[in-house]
Amino acid sequence: MSATVGIVLVSHSAELASGLRLLVEQIGSDTVPVVTAAGTDDGRIGTSYDLVLKALQDADRGAGVLILPDLGSSVLTTRTVLDDHPRADAVIADAPFVEGAVAAVVAAASGADLQAVAKSAEEARHVRKQ
Amino acid sequence: MSASNDTTGCESAETTGHEAAVLLPANLHARPAGLLARAAGEFSSTIELEHNGKTVNPAGVLGVMALGATAGSTVTVRAAGPDAHDAVAALMEILANAE
Repeated sequence: MSATVGIVLVSHSAELASGLRLLVEQIGSDTVPVVTAAGTDDGRIGTSYDLVLKALQDADRGAGVLILPDLGSSVLTTRTVLDDHPRADAVIADAPFVEGAVAAVVAAASGADLQAVAKSAEEARHVRKQ
Repeated sequence: MSASNDTTGCESAETTGHEAAVLLPANLHARPAGLLARAAGEFSSTIELEHNGKTVNPAGVLGVMALGATAGSTVTVRAAGPDAHDAVAALMEILANAE
């Protein structure tokens, strides 16, 4: 079987990201590489350029990486990392953090390629709660 | 237990259509939805899940959850394609054993 798309969860909060990782492992799969880059280097609330860069490398199994940022500087920090280290096989998902991560991990577990995994995450925008 | 009924549809050389219905033993929550989506991704047939007038592609976990299918209600699995029969059987198995 070909390599699985990796998922990176970028958040201001380490607890938020690790909680989401536990959730997606339960709903989706624990076989998909899901790596968190959350909080500052010294464990405070915030984002870290170095943690995002390292997470990108750790999640990479050769099939590309989908990055889900939570909001604000998570998005900006991720963009800066990708500007400095451009690669065609790393994509930021324009998707809600929780729903996007669940959809992405399930799609990746089914063997979907990067484009399809990103599409699954972005379709999460259209799931209504009411 | 699952109350399934086979209503096999058209068959041709290349594609076959197949559908079955199951009575859910439990609510179709996040975990069974995840199982269903991953299973659906393994087949090449076009698969549909129908509940209470709503139809979704079971490969999308969020769509499955959004069906809001609860214990005791009926879900219909429908597939068309070369592996339609196996696809319906695999998804029925997951639905019938949802916890």
